[in-house]
Amino acid sequence: MEVKKMNEEGNTLEIKNLVIHYISEEEVVKAVNGVDIIIKAGKTLGLVGETGAGKTTTALSILNLVPEPQGKILSGEVLLQGRSVLSMSDLELEDIRGDKVAMIFQDPMTSLNPVHTVGDQIAESIEIHRKVSKQEALKQAKEMLELVGIPGERSNEYPYQFSGGMKQRVVIAIALTCSPDLLIADEPTTALDVTIQAQVLKLINELRRKYHMSMLMITHDLGIVAEVCDEVSIAYAGRIVEHGTLEDIFDNLRHPYTKGLFDALPDIEARRSELKPIKGLMPDPTNLPSGCAFHPRCDYVMEVCSQSLPENKWLSETHCVQCHLYKDTNESML
Amino acid sequence: MSETVTRKELMGETVNKYTTRKEFFKQYKKKSRLEETWNRFLRNKMAVIGLFIFVFIMVVAVVAPLIADYDTEAITINVSNRLQPPSTEHIFGTDEMGRDIMARIVHGARISLVVGFSSVAIALFIGGAFGAIAGYYGGKTDDIIMRCMDVFLCLPDVLLALAIVAAFGTTLVNMTIAIGLSFTPKFSRVVRSAVMTVRGIEYVEAARAIGSTNTHIITNHVLINCFGPIVVQVTLYVASAILTISALSFIGLGIQAPIPEWGNMLASGRAYMRDHAYIVMAPGLAIFVTILSLNLLGDGLRDALDPRLK
Amino acid sequence: MLKFIVRRLLAMIPVVLAVTFVVFTMMYMTPGDPTNTILGNEWTEAASAKLKTELGLDQPFLVQFFNYTINLVQGDFGMSYITRAPVGDQLMARFPNTLKVVAGAMLFCVGVGVPIGVFSGVKPYSVFSNLTMVVGLLGVSLPIFWLGLLLILLFSVELGWLPSSGIDGFASLILPSLALGSNYMANIMRTTRSSMLEVIRQDYIRTAKAKGVNARNVIMKHALQNAMMPTVTVIGMNIGALLGGVVLTETVFSIPGTGRLLVEAINKRDTPTVLGCLVIMAVCVAVSNLLVDIVYAYLDPRIKAQYGGGRGE
Repeated sequence: MEVKKMNEEGNTLEIKNLVIHYISEEEVVKAVNGVDIIIKAGKTLGLVGETGAGKTTTALSILNLVPEPQGKILSGEVLLQGRSVLSMSDLELEDIRGDKVAMIFQDPMTSLNPVHTVGDQIAESIEIHRKVSKQEALKQAKEMLELVGIPGERSNEYPYQFSGGMKQRVVIAIALTCSPDLLIADEPTTALDVTIQAQVLKLINELRRKYHMSMLMITHDLGIVAEVCDEVSIAYAGRIVEHGTLEDIFDNLRHPYTKGLFDALPDIEARRSELKPIKGLMPDPTNLPSGCAFHPRCDYVMEVCSQSLPENKWLSETHCVQCHLYKDTNESML
Repeated sequence: MSETVTRKELMGETVNKYTTRKEFFKQYKKKSRLEETWNRFLRNKMAVIGLFIFVFIMVVAVVAPLIADYDTEAITINVSNRLQPPSTEHIFGTDEMGRDIMARIVHGARISLVVGFSSVAIALFIGGAFGAIAGYYGGKTDDIIMRCMDVFLCLPDVLLALAIVAAFGTTLVNMTIAIGLSFTPKFSRVVRSAVMTVRGIEYVEAARAIGSTNTHIITNHVLINCFGPIVVQVTLYVASAILTISALSFIGLGIQAPIPEWGNMLASGRAYMRDHAYIVMAPGLAIFVTILSLNLLGDGLRDALDPRLK
Repeated sequence: MLKFIVRRLLAMIPVVLAVTFVVFTMMYMTPGDPTNTILGNEWTEAASAKLKTELGLDQPFLVQFFNYTINLVQGDFGMSYITRAPVGDQLMARFPNTLKVVAGAMLFCVGVGVPIGVFSGVKPYSVFSNLTMVVGLLGVSLPIFWLGLLLILLFSVELGWLPSSGIDGFASLILPSLALGSNYMANIMRTTRSSMLEVIRQDYIRTAKAKGVNARNVIMKHALQNAMMPTVTVIGMNIGALLGGVVLTETVFSIPGTGRLLVEAINKRDTPTVLGCLVIMAVCVAVSNLLVDIVYAYLDPRIKAQYGGGRGE
């Protein structure tokens, strides 16, 4: 896949042509099938897609934490501030994890170790990366807890004593405690109640601005994207089918799938209108359709769509799309 | 192709083929799951080997009289022939009374298997009944029953069986009952937890919503789904039972000589083992292989029924 | 924590009492006249009647049980029908030997089973792991008494390295501990392995790695404590089985312990001794269950907190 020349300096994250499959005795799950991502320093990229589009796997590869025996990185490069993550030694990886890049996982209920206090779990990160004494680390951990809105005295408590929303705050505290350069947030609010979602999102945003972090926000919620992100990548079946700035995607979308996503949003103004889901089902990653993976569900499908994969076409400096509709034109075909 | 079939059409088409509601649902639930489970089981080579070995042992036990005559070969003392090492005539050698060891082993298999199966059957019925009631009704009933069972859990299998034997003597029937009773508390726990898991599942709620009586629910829904874990436990407990009967016979409080039983064969052969090691090989091997095959089988069943547990 | 222990101790009492009742009932229902056993050749109607009154055997069942229990609490196990000596003396002499063997077996089980289980859980597809699975399967299927005989054949008869009977010195404990412990070692090994595998799959392990915790600490600090919980439970469940197996081990290795005493007593119809042995074994099981519960509570902060460890919810 071609990547248009961009100013490569100051790119916190660059992923080039990443292909990751999960190989087991019975089947091969083609999770990621050629993904390109660039996040510039201080910017937030929203990675949007439904479940099964390969988003979490892509994120894990940035930390080189793709589950080992089954997950195989078949090709591609992941460059964190110019350094290749995939070829780092274990020691180097342990160095950058938590310090240069940190991840907030999806399910706060299971992300914390039940037998360690929350204070310990935050302090551990500090101890590893900052070479301070245990007491000092615990002290800083308490401050971190305060920062995310939890009283510092609670640092001696165990995860089971916290609610879901508070657990997620602890997870955020752990991720941010060493001010990483890149923060990966994998659906950080999906498992939470709607009211808590707003609080957590606000918190993430504030802290991100405070620490000048770049962020990869993985979500399937376009509302969150609008609030938090500078650029958006739309993922489908392990490929990025469209990418652009917020305006490019929200006002000038080109790919039929992107259109489907926006059309599927319930319109609170037009209360009586019918919901418009995208017809069909998400493709089975063990058995992807031929050619463009979206073709069985596409309203604009053409013969060529089932025969070959569309090339990545740059419509402007910031906006690209993978669709046969745009082979010869840049204008919207929708 | 991606036309969604409406529920009505689906129901309309197929309901006519079946006479009762039960049959209709059965074909969705049981058949495919049974096939799937069986296939998974077959893929596990060790489990299949275990199955073969155990079937072989059962066959041997059944046709024992055809292989070796009970009276002449297994029981009659033949002092002139004593302590012969393994040969073409006596594959495992002869014991201290001149009897062919192989003949005794083959007949011993009958006893082990009979005691093994019947004692577990006893435990299954009694323990299963209590466990199912406790699990299904919960609350006070559950508490009381489980407290009673816990008392028995304080005495390990062998000791409990010993206590019963001490009180009531060592006939075959007593032994079977003793071992059966010693497994009852454990079994009731297994059944209870299986029942409790199933009890929470939605279709029991649904069944209750359409008015099925409690008994109906228990027999049709609950028991069918407990089937899996219970089968696994049964297999493993049969192994345990066979082990226990040989253990008891070994210490002299089980099947008594001259009846051939693997455990008591080991006990009587022990005195001569220093110079005639073979005398303790065959019986011990018999116990070992039987239990091994049952364990393989049980593990295989467990993995086949729920591969996630691996 | 103390509250927890005290509570459990108190809960133990009714259970032990109940077990005593059950066992006592079974002995009571034994057909036959105990005076036959005691008096033997000197049996006469008169002597029998006199003896019965002396021993309280003509009292109603519940009275007998009550008396027995009262005596038991004071440490009086009654008189042996055969030796006419206090059962308690015999028990005191023999029980330590049983304890030694059980302790040795436990050491073997936990000391060998747990580390091997942990290693093979950490590297589940390695040769080592597959080997441990095989050994585990074999170990679980080996009858203790046969293994004991085989060990004697190999190490005593053939190699002459270790004694085959009796209890004197450390060397004589090795073979019995191995024989007794092998079943349960295999069990513990398999459980530890599978609980390790289960724990490593958990999200919080992924979080730990994402923080940059090094591989060794991921296992030792994060996974181990969580993985130990099911293992401790299994260890607890196995202690009872160990006490059952010790009877067999003592027979094979001719060790003068409680197990053998029990068997002899059963053969001789010496009811008080039988009762005494069974009661002591039951108490052992109850105590060890308590110990296991304490260790488990120590590992799992949710339980520790219930009894005053941390702040409650």
